Amino acid sequence: MRIPCPHCGARDAQEFSYLGAADPQRPDGLDATEAAMLDYVYQRDNPAGRHRELWYHGAGCHAWLTVTRDTRTHAIESIEPVRRRGAGAAA
Amino acid sequence: MTRTWTPLGAWAGILADGHVGTAGAPGVIALARDGLGVATLIAAEGGEAALAAALAKRPGLDLPSSPAVAHAGAHSLVWAGPGQWLLVAGHRAGFPETLAALSCLAAVSDQSDGRAVLRLSGSKIRETLAKGCMLDLHPSAFPVGMAALTAIAHIGVHLWRGDDGPDGAVFEMMVPRSLAGSFWSWFAASAAEFGCAVSVAEMTAGRG
Repeated sequence: MRIPCPHCGARDAQEFSYLGAADPQRPDGLDATEAAMLDYVYQRDNPAGRHRELWYHGAGCHAWLTVTRDTRTHAIESIEPVRRRGAGAAA
Repeated sequence: MTRTWTPLGAWAGILADGHVGTAGAPGVIALARDGLGVATLIAAEGGEAALAAALAKRPGLDLPSSPAVAHAGAHSLVWAGPGQWLLVAGHRAGFPETLAALSCLAAVSDQSDGRAVLRLSGSKIRETLAKGCMLDLHPSAFPVGMAALTAIAHIGVHLWRGDDGPDGAVFEMMVPRSLAGSFWSWFAASAAEFGCAVSVAEMTAGRG
C-alpha cells in the first residue's frame, strides 16, 4: 500500500505507523463515566469499507495524518494533516 | 608535553580514501563530508514569516515550503517536514553566531556532531541507491534542488539533490552519526558491483 503524504508525496506504507480510528474523542477524565471511558479505550468499529484512521509518517515528515481509506481495497479517499483540525484534536 | 585533542569526523574509522568493489573506472563516487555546521530549525507556532525574514537577511536564504533545498554561499537550507528545516553550513566558522541570531525565532538544535553526510555521484549512483531507497530518483521525479526524508535499510535518511557535478547527478545523504557505520555497510555492499571511489573531505579549520 502506498500512502500519498500531503507533505512528502506517495510513500510506501512501511514509512508510516498506524494508530487506529481517528474519530474517538477522549471524554473529560474528571467527569467521564466508566462506561464512556470503556467505550473510548476499547470499543472500535471494524468496518468493511470507509474508515477514518490516524497514521504517523515516522520515516518522513514526522506528521500525524488523518487518512480516509477503504479497508476492503486500501483505496485512499482523502488524507490531511491532523494539526489542521485545530489544537486539542486527537493524537 | 602538551596533549592536543583533535575531534574525529563522523566518518572516522568507518571509511577511508580508496576504492571499494570492482576494480577499474568507478561507477559510483562517494565523498565523506566533514566539518559541516548542521542544525535543525523548528519555527515557533505562527512564526514562520519572521524566521523566513531573518534567514533572508542572513545568510540570505529562502525558506523552502515544499521538500526542496535552497542555497546561498556556504549555506544550504533543506526542508525537513512542515515548519522544520535543516541549516547546513560548509564550515563551522561563525556557525554558532548564525544559530544564536535565529534562536529567538525558532527551536534551534546544533547537530554538527550528530549527523554524518555523504556526497554521492557517478554514472551508477541511481542503480546503487535503487537497491534500498524507496523513492523514484529519476531526473523527471527528483530534479536538482529536491529534498526528501525517507528510510534506507531501516535508517532514517535526509537526502537532497545538489547541482550536477562533473560526475553527473549529485545526491547528498545525511544519516544520524550513530548509524553512519550501518549506512556505510549497506552502501558499500550496494555500490561494490559498480566500483566505488571513496574520499574523505579535509576537515576544514575552525570549529566555530
